Formats: sequence, structure tokens, C-alpha cells
Amino acid sequence: MAEDLDTLLRRMAQSRVHRRGFLKGSGLAGLSAMIAACSPGASASPSSAPSTASSTAPSTGASPSEAASPSPSAVAVTETEGKLFMYNWSDYVDPDNIEKFKKDFKVDTFTYDVYDSNEELLTKLQGGASGQWDIGAPTAEFVEAMVAGGFIEKIDWMKLPNAALIDPQFQNFYKDDKADLNNYHLPKDWGTTGIAIRSKDVTEDVKTWKDFFDLAPKYSGKIVIVNSPGDVFVAPLKALGYSLNSVDPKELGEARELLRGLAPHVLALDSNTYDAKLATEEAVMGLVWTGGIDDLKEKPETADTKYIIPEDGTLFWMDTWVIFKNPPHPNSAYAFLNFIHDPEVQAKETVTNRYATANTEAMKLVPQELLNNPTVFVPPDVLASGKLEGAQDVSTDPLRVEIWEEFSSSIGH
Amino acid sequence: MAAAVGDRARPVEPGRWRGRLLTGALMLPATLWYLVLLVAPIAIVLVFSFGNRTRIGGYSPGFSFDNYANAIRSPDPFLTSLFLSVVGTALCLLVGLPLAYFIATRATKRKALLIVLLVIPFWTSFLIRTYAWLLILGPEGLAGFIKDLTGSTSFRILGTEPGVLIGLLYGYLPLMIFPLYVTLERMDRALVEASKDLGAGRWATFRQVTLPIALPGLITGSILVFIPMMGEYVIPQLLGYGQVYTVGNLLYSRFLEARNWPSGSALAMILIVIMLAVVTVYVWLTNRGRTVRNVSVV
Repeated sequence: MAEDLDTLLRRMAQSRVHRRGFLKGSGLAGLSAMIAACSPGASASPSSAPSTASSTAPSTGASPSEAASPSPSAVAVTETEGKLFMYNWSDYVDPDNIEKFKKDFKVDTFTYDVYDSNEELLTKLQGGASGQWDIGAPTAEFVEAMVAGGFIEKIDWMKLPNAALIDPQFQNFYKDDKADLNNYHLPKDWGTTGIAIRSKDVTEDVKTWKDFFDLAPKYSGKIVIVNSPGDVFVAPLKALGYSLNSVDPKELGEARELLRGLAPHVLALDSNTYDAKLATEEAVMGLVWTGGIDDLKEKPETADTKYIIPEDGTLFWMDTWVIFKNPPHPNSAYAFLNFIHDPEVQAKETVTNRYATANTEAMKLVPQELLNNPTVFVPPDVLASGKLEGAQDVSTDPLRVEIWEEFSSSIGH
Repeated sequence: MAAAVGDRARPVEPGRWRGRLLTGALMLPATLWYLVLLVAPIAIVLVFSFGNRTRIGGYSPGFSFDNYANAIRSPDPFLTSLFLSVVGTALCLLVGLPLAYFIATRATKRKALLIVLLVIPFWTSFLIRTYAWLLILGPEGLAGFIKDLTGSTSFRILGTEPGVLIGLLYGYLPLMIFPLYVTLERMDRALVEASKDLGAGRWATFRQVTLPIALPGLITGSILVFIPMMGEYVIPQLLGYGQVYTVGNLLYSRFLEARNWPSGSALAMILIVIMLAVVTVYVWLTNRGRTVRNVSVV
């Protein structure tokens, strides 16, 4: 019996595939191959909120000769090539402004490709994507790496009259010997990283990062943190009074101890849905960006949400426009950059995106309630105090990488 | 990905170079595909793994074993991935085999409809479907329901390994079902009838007749599911809240956060070797003692 079965099986295996069987089989094989191709694991990573850490302190002291020099006698570009290829964070330019630009400058093709992180942008450029896009908006600290890699062009200030409206403390992001880098970027918007709490659950008065660490055991399992090493290091380093860009082994060692104490109490590392977690009270305290916080404040059920700029100092990020090397449509690029900093256009951007603008004229047109909102604008006295520090590109420092790997792999345990 | 081993092809008559040329020409597209899309990228990763990191990240040529020495600081991510992949594959098998059997043998009239129902979700973005699980399993969904039922305040499905496993099962089930379905559908029903006529019970028939016939599809399905699961990043990150830390998370971190391509490449090579070893052992174990060795989908 078993032998007959064996013979039968052998016969089956040798039989030629009939046409119907072949079509069915290959159809399903093709289908499963297609599914395998789009299967989980091959897909893109989740998109993150617009910005990660970056930006230097908005204090004065820019070095003279090499600093960016927007000139009031510049002349705007009016003739474009009819197309513009943008590579940017998702939903980062007001659609109405895009339509206005297309109409005013007779641009019929405006492509808007999206990246999820600065690292993805940099990786794409390193992979040789020059000549594919005209403009983009990385976070300011990445401009250094992009210039070093030869991926962006020096800006011709003579074509951007509206650049003179930018507050110098934002334009002169890079200091001292790096000041020449300021000629490669044009500020887009800026904001802070801070603490968010549901004040009906967290009744304490949370004012500093030190408070954040002290309260972590009490709210264990209800803390959400953005999945960004540059932002996460801000908390321990500022709580200890150090620079958030420190790569000093002793200082990082102390920060590591604080992070080790925090890790077991963290619910999630989440850059995309931290506001949803705060809304359902799955998390009641968080180290977050400002995206989504205002929406929580406006809804009645979550109106107790508060966003706090810590008093022991925090990070100040800035996204900034750059022109990629060998842009296919340089005139369109300059036309757009000048257009976007037209005060009315820029004010509309601020109202829609709810991120602060660096354009002094546009600020005069922004509604007062937005100017008073700490999730959008920072009070002028806090700005002047120097408590806000911008991040440099230090996330790749080996010791930081080691500490981050240890922290991110041990949360919740 | 599927190769028929041991199939008796029509032998080429000695001296007929024209037959050989034809065979070669027919194999050319597949060979090119393999070389360009499989061998070349792995070769690039291999070369990168011996290189150095530039100041701004990325790769610069070099030759050192440092990256391999430093690749693994802790075996935990590998163990977590292995656990998730093995259990996930087993779950897919447990759920997929009965379903494939049902569709192949019992659902005569609705076969096409059932297949279409299985396929339709894949026309939606995978990311959106994973986000949907955040709602289904979250504090306002299943977890909330169970919390109310039991009165517990800290019950959670998301952010734990079971939550991730649910997501993995959902995402990979069709990859398991289709090879199984194809194999079972081609099974000669007469064999099952003969077995029953000869007195074997339903379970014995299933074990001794159906299962051996389904084995090739089972092997293919398991491999199709196991290998991608080992590198899975999105599902553990979204549904595991980052608490379930896998090799995928580690690779993401090395490449995109530390921007250390050589180190990430070394890690990737180690993962590839591990997966190859596991799959080789698996195929050897399941093909042991079979006169007809067959790992194919068609």
C-alpha cells in the first residue's frame, strides 16, 4: 500500500503540467510573488512629524565677513521654467500658496516628493540623486553635512529681495568658522522640543527636565517619547546643566545614568502618534514636538493638555530651504523662495502650519493669539534669555550611538 | 525563489549544442534577474561591511573587520526576532493550513470569491492597515474592552509581543495560504477516497495522505513567511511601541540614525548568514528521506 502510494506520488510529480493547471498555478504564483514584493518589511518606514532636533541658539554674535548677506537691492526672478520639483516633509507648504505660486509664475508642473526624515534625505542624496529636485527643506543642522557632501548650492542673494526680511538670528544659524554655511540656506520655520502633559492626570507643576525625570517613576508606563536621538538627549543633558550638543564622555556618562533610570518607565518611542496617545491618556506625560498639541488643546475632551518649554533649557529647531545642486529649474527655485517669504504668503504659512516664522515682516501679519501661543511662538524674553540651544549634527558620535541603542532597546523593561 | 529540484527534465541529446543554446537563452532572463537584483546588491553590502564610515555618515572604501567585531553588542534583538519569526510562522501555519484546505477542497462554488477576499486587503497600503490595528487593539478598542471586562487598569495588547504577533499574523497570512492552496488544489481527490475506502479515519487520512502532499507548499509558505519576518521593522515599531526591539529596529538605527553604513552592512550580512543557515537546515530536515524532493509553488 505504501509502495503504491509512493509510485502514485512519483507519477504525479513527473506528470506534465496541464495548461489549465499551469495558468492557475502561475497566476497564483505571480500573485503571491506580487504580494511578497509589497509585503510587510519591504515597506516604507512610518512618516514622522516634520522636524527633528536642530538649530543653534538664537543669540547674536555672527561673524562678519562670511556671514549670509541678503541685500535689499536684490531683484526678484519673474520668469520661470514652468516647472518646480520640490522634495520636502509631507504637508509642509500651504496648498493655497502652492496654487497661488503656480498661477502667478505660470508654473504648470509642481511636483512635491516627500521624505520622512533628514537621514532619509541625506541617504537619498548620498545615493546620487543630484539633478532630480530643485528645492527642499532639511532641518538646519543637516546643512553642514549637505554642504560637505556637495549636495546643495550657494544661494545667490541678489535674486532674493525678501531674504532681507529674515531675522538675522535665524539666518546666521552657524557661528564663527562655520558662518559661511549661512550662505547655503534660507530659514523656513522654527520651533521647540518640550514637555507635554495632561494636566488633569499630572497634577504637579512640571517646569523643568529635572521635574520630568523626577516624576517618571510616578507615571511609569504612561510616558511617550519621540523616536529621535537628537531630541531625547536634550532632557538629561539639560537637566544636568550641560550643552545638549555635548560629546564629552563624562557628561554623556552622567546623561546615560539618567536615561537608564528613565527607560523602564517609558511606554513608547513614537514620533508619529504621540498626540493620539496623549489624547486617549495612554500616555499622560511626554517628551514631544509641538505638532498635534494645538489640536489637542482645542478639543474639549483634551483641553487640559499643556505644552511646557522647560526652564532648564531646551532645544530649538529650524527647518530651512536649500537649493539642491544642479537644479533642473533654477529660476523657478529662486522665484519660489522669494515668493514664500512675501510677508502675506509667509504669514499664511504660519497660520496653516502652526510653526513659527523667521520673517520679521510676516510676524506683523500673524494673529496675536498665535503669537501668544507657546506651542507656536516662544515668548521674546525666553528667546533672549539664551536658554534655547540649537542642535548640531552630533547624533552619529559613537558614544551617543551606543547610549541611544542601549536606551531604545530597553524601554519598558 | 522557487526551484524544482530533482524534476526529470527532458534530457538533451549529446552533441545537440542547439538544444543547449536554447536552454541557455531561456534561462537568461531569470539569470540576469538573479545576478542584478539579488547577487549584486548582496555583494555591495558585503563590500560595504568591510569599509569605514565617513565623517558625515555613509561609506568610504577600506578593509577592516572592526564592523563585524562591533556589530553585535547584545544578542537580544536577534533572539527577539527569532522568537517572533518562529512563533509567527507557526501561527500562520496553524491558521493558514485549515483555511487553505477548506478553500482548496470544500469551497467548490465560492472558491474564486474566497481567494479574491483574501487578496483585496493587499490593495490598501500596508502602513494604513497596520495603523488600523493601532485602533483595533488599542485602549479604545480590544484592550479597552478587556480592561472594562476584567476591571484591570494596566492591561495592554499593544507594546507587547502578543500584539506584534497579531500584526505579523495578519500581514503574512496570505503568503502562507497561497502556496498551500496551490499544492492542495492539485491533490488528486481519488487518493483521499482510496484511503477512506481502505478504512483510514479522517485524521489518519489527513496525516498520511494529505499532509505529505501538502508538504512542498508548506515548506515554501514557511520560508516565504519566515525570512521577511526576521527583518521586520515596521510592525514591531508601530504595534510594539518600540518596546519589542528586533534586528529590524537595530538595522534602522545603524543605517538611518547613526548613519553608519559599514556597521549596518556588517549586521545585515550576519543576519543573512543566520537566515541562510536556518532555511538550509529546515529544508534539509523536511526533505530527508523523500524520494521526490520538491520545493515548488507550481
